[in-house]
Amino acid sequence: MVKVKVNDIEVDADPKDNCILAARKAGVEIPHYCWHESLSVVASCRMCLVEVGETKPDGTVAMGPKLVPGCQTPIKEGTIIRTDSAKVKTSQQMTLELLLLNHPLDCSICDQAGECYLQDYTYKYGNAHSRLDEPKLQREDKYHIGEQIALFTDRCVMCTRCVRFTREVSGTAELQVVARGSHEEIDVFPDTPCNNKLAGNVVDLCPVGALCSKDFLYKKRVWWLKHAESVCTGCSTGCSIHVDQNENKVYRLRPRENPQAQGHFMCDEGRFGFKYIHDDRRLKFPKLKNAASGVAATGTASQTSDLSFADPWPTVLGEVKKRIRQAIQNDPSGFVAVLSPLMTVEEAYLLASYIKGIDPRTKLTLGPVPMVGSDDLYPKGPKGEPPAPGKVKFTIRAEKCPNRLGVEAVLRHFERAVIHADSLGKSSASAWYVVGGYSAGWVTESLDQAIGTPSLLIVQDIFPSPLSDRADIVLAAGSFAEREGTYVNHAGLAQAAHASIRPPEEARADGRILMELAGRSGLFNAMALRKEIGTNIAEFSAIAIGDLGEHGVRLAKYANQTVGARS
Amino acid sequence: MISRFIEYWPVLWPALAAIAVILAVVPFLGLYMTFIERKVAAYVQDRVGPNRVGPFGLFQAVADGIKIFLKEQLIPDHVYTALYFIAPSFSLITAMFALVVMPFGPVATDYKSGFRFMVAPGIDIGILMMLAISSLSAYGIIVGGWASNNKYSIYGAIRSCAQFISYEIPLGMSILGVIAITGSLNIEQIVKAQSGSLLDWNVFWQPVAMLVFFTSALAETNRLPFDLPECEQELVGGFHTEYSGIKFVLFFLAEYTHIVTVSFLTALLFLGGWHFPGLPDPSGASTLVLALGLLVLLAKVSLVVMVIILLRWALPRFRFDQLMGLAWKGLIPLALVNLVGVAIVLTLGLPKHLLIATAVLPILAAYYSAAKFNASLESDNTLRNGIQPQGAVSYE
Amino acid sequence: MSESKPATSPKKKTVKWGQAPKLSVLDALYLPAIASGLATAVRHAVSGKPTTRQYPEVEPEIPPNYRGVHRLNRDEAGRVKCVACYMCQTACPANCIEIIAAPAPKDDPHWKDRDKFPATFTIDELRCIYCGMCEEACPVDAIELTSVYDLTGMTRQEMIFDKEKLLSVFDETVKSGRDPVRTNRGKLGPASEVAPTGKDAPPPPGRGKSG
Repeated sequence: MVKVKVNDIEVDADPKDNCILAARKAGVEIPHYCWHESLSVVASCRMCLVEVGETKPDGTVAMGPKLVPGCQTPIKEGTIIRTDSAKVKTSQQMTLELLLLNHPLDCSICDQAGECYLQDYTYKYGNAHSRLDEPKLQREDKYHIGEQIALFTDRCVMCTRCVRFTREVSGTAELQVVARGSHEEIDVFPDTPCNNKLAGNVVDLCPVGALCSKDFLYKKRVWWLKHAESVCTGCSTGCSIHVDQNENKVYRLRPRENPQAQGHFMCDEGRFGFKYIHDDRRLKFPKLKNAASGVAATGTASQTSDLSFADPWPTVLGEVKKRIRQAIQNDPSGFVAVLSPLMTVEEAYLLASYIKGIDPRTKLTLGPVPMVGSDDLYPKGPKGEPPAPGKVKFTIRAEKCPNRLGVEAVLRHFERAVIHADSLGKSSASAWYVVGGYSAGWVTESLDQAIGTPSLLIVQDIFPSPLSDRADIVLAAGSFAEREGTYVNHAGLAQAAHASIRPPEEARADGRILMELAGRSGLFNAMALRKEIGTNIAEFSAIAIGDLGEHGVRLAKYANQTVGARS
Repeated sequence: MISRFIEYWPVLWPALAAIAVILAVVPFLGLYMTFIERKVAAYVQDRVGPNRVGPFGLFQAVADGIKIFLKEQLIPDHVYTALYFIAPSFSLITAMFALVVMPFGPVATDYKSGFRFMVAPGIDIGILMMLAISSLSAYGIIVGGWASNNKYSIYGAIRSCAQFISYEIPLGMSILGVIAITGSLNIEQIVKAQSGSLLDWNVFWQPVAMLVFFTSALAETNRLPFDLPECEQELVGGFHTEYSGIKFVLFFLAEYTHIVTVSFLTALLFLGGWHFPGLPDPSGASTLVLALGLLVLLAKVSLVVMVIILLRWALPRFRFDQLMGLAWKGLIPLALVNLVGVAIVLTLGLPKHLLIATAVLPILAAYYSAAKFNASLESDNTLRNGIQPQGAVSYE
Repeated sequence: MSESKPATSPKKKTVKWGQAPKLSVLDALYLPAIASGLATAVRHAVSGKPTTRQYPEVEPEIPPNYRGVHRLNRDEAGRVKCVACYMCQTACPANCIEIIAAPAPKDDPHWKDRDKFPATFTIDELRCIYCGMCEEACPVDAIELTSVYDLTGMTRQEMIFDKEKLLSVFDETVKSGRDPVRTNRGKLGPASEVAPTGKDAPPPPGRGKSG
């Protein structure tokens, strides 16, 4: 640790920090465009110019004669940083005036407006007006940059963050700067659009509205969006994300910086893969099949006509409780609950403790764990080859579920072992409680066969499946955006996800269903449950603090594993 | 039974005809009273008033009537249904019933047969019956307020109850003088007694009585400035807050019928009825004379109605304690003293026109009340801090 | 009550005691007051100078900055001027504006120079409070409030104005010369001009001419 003075505020900074990071620790913002924590330094935007000096051994202060870029200037013991002098302020005003010379004044139609660094910095540090009398340069928009990316060329401030990202993080290097001077533009080579699996990140990286997501283009102004901190459930990397929603509709997912999980980025699979939560085919009403007549009694009526305002849940849940108790009484060891690896720790705990609380002879199993291909490591080499082991900056994992480790830990606590549901073969189980929650067809053949046509089949899922078609009771559950709870990623990092929207129609988040099923009073409260789980299950002792913070906590068992998505 | 019916037919049919006239005219009159009231109110306030339906808006009243008849019959959940229905009809029934003994045109005292402007002529307790029945109308309001099961309504009803009881007394006492000197409770007789010259009109020897009667009658009709049972600012609508549509109309009609009754009574008792100097007595008179008498009476009634309507826009509403004070401390003593005057005149056999001297009574009362008030001002000022508040004074 | 002492403390604050006027005999009689009240009522009743304006026949003069029904202005090419920036929707305190934006049809030469346009633009005229914030917020002078004040409809649905309806309001009000385009970049429109003062000024609102 070294002592640094920023605007007369003394702070302890890491000797590896640059001036921007050191100032941030002092609570001072140094405006910057081209510098990004995860990318290399180019010091090209000149926005972070600050006065830097040093304290001589005799205590005198010697300031540098000219302004230096804060991003490129390392610090040492006694470094003095000034961001509030007239010199710095004038420089910032000039830089902004020059950056805005050719920047069109189309904030009204720019998707970045509201979260644009040009707007923010101009407001905080800039001039109110421009002295340029000449017409601004107008350049063609480039919709060919990528499948998901559009480039509004004249809005670009040439920070080259996007170029560096494709070179350093994705390794695919599709983007580059063409031409020189005021003709500089970002572009791709013909027929090599920027379509790599991390391409969506350049939109987040772009500090202005030059690179826009085609998916989100003109869909919503960003100031309407409400953000919820959540976790991507696309793979076991468990990227920290923001879920941006308005009026119960999710518009986009954004990566949330989390050095413990994935760093600054997320993959396009996760970023654009949330659409299924607004799919029309989702289960929206609980369904109860009348055992005697084989006709659906509740739910279907309200599903077809919107005139029925009766809440179907009390009837359905009452029936579920009754039937489960009956089935367990009849054949305790023939009752199998299938816990999905998409469940949160809290939900798994609630279900497991409920089932095991009725009779410990019941069986808890783990649902299918979806695996697609093998882990996808970045940055790629020139020929698309994966990086050397120590150089990994981002990983898209083959295991396409967020919480296998968490559910397994719950199973180990209640069942003393992890039994895979599809390994049961053609079992003789007479009653099943199956939890789904997957985005697509997940019922494996072996699971289908194992379940067969039991005397009682309860399915808690978000999409219709062969299982829900023949289930006695279907409980319409919630997707990741509607759930709340803890996910344990591949490296044992337990992160809290918060609900951002309400489930459609009469569907209910799994936590709420299980809370009522377990006969617990009160609302589903993830934090209270985390405390309970942390005290009851040794493996989860780390989450007993309840509030896991923005970055989550690592479970003790995995503390020695290497950190983050980069591994 | 039927033979009796036929036997009495010659005296029955004029009564039935008069009833028919009243039943036909009164609701119509009620409707057009609202129209006249709106129009006069508009002119007083420099507006135009209803002028869209028909020429000069003449059909506005009809349109209102049709509209209000077609309104939904709304019965609030919380009312006592039976009483809720009874109240407005009771209100109207009593108001109409009072018209039985009311001559609405010239009626001779020696009436024998044929049509005449009265349902039941020659009733010797006519004015007494009128007072008795019109005081029954308080029940309509009280029952309505009670049935509404609403705080505002019951407040309105209670106020109206107190108001009715208080103003019954000066109302009755004020006409005692007229009755004593005429020597009859028969309305035709009272009118006949005013038949001579203009000075024979009762108002010219009983001015105080007329003032007290008119004031009390205003209070009995719940008109401004005495409309405390239904004042909108304090009680929403008072006793008729929960009423709408036709039931509300019945209340309304009753109120306007009362106004008409009161105007007729004022004209008959104090303004010479159908008499006008030069016009012969109706007994045995020609149809023309009867018609002229009718016109005279109606003109006098219209004058009184107009004064009642104009008073609404000239006077502010009383506070309730002022209302009670006016009755008990103002009108009742005045009426009493007036009655004593009448007694003296009668006992000593003096000419009744000496009673014009009672006109000084209100002035004496006013002098007394002014003196008392000014004295209270003085004592109030000395009470403040012992300093005469002339100009500026100081305090810490 | 003479036992209370006169104030002895320094006389710093002077207070004027309000004093009820003394009553004369005539005041206490009330009848003259009632008569004068009646006289005032009668005087007005017979004055024959009603201040009522016979509305459907005589229309009121609407000031140029009156805030009535909205319109969507057209640009020189006849396209909707609105760029769907949602500023009006953001500024609207009544939440009565709903816009759905879309990329402009770039293939159409008519729309070549435009990036974004409103696919739908809906104003619920019943929910609107006619505050004019949308007009103030608009960066491209696309939404304006006209002087059309007599908006009526038989259903709620027909009072929800869509883009075509709002454009037709523009066509009607501008072509008829009733409402010239109010806001223009660089200069003030007629609606923003300072009202005349002095002798020629219209009377301030809320005051009748005759007493």
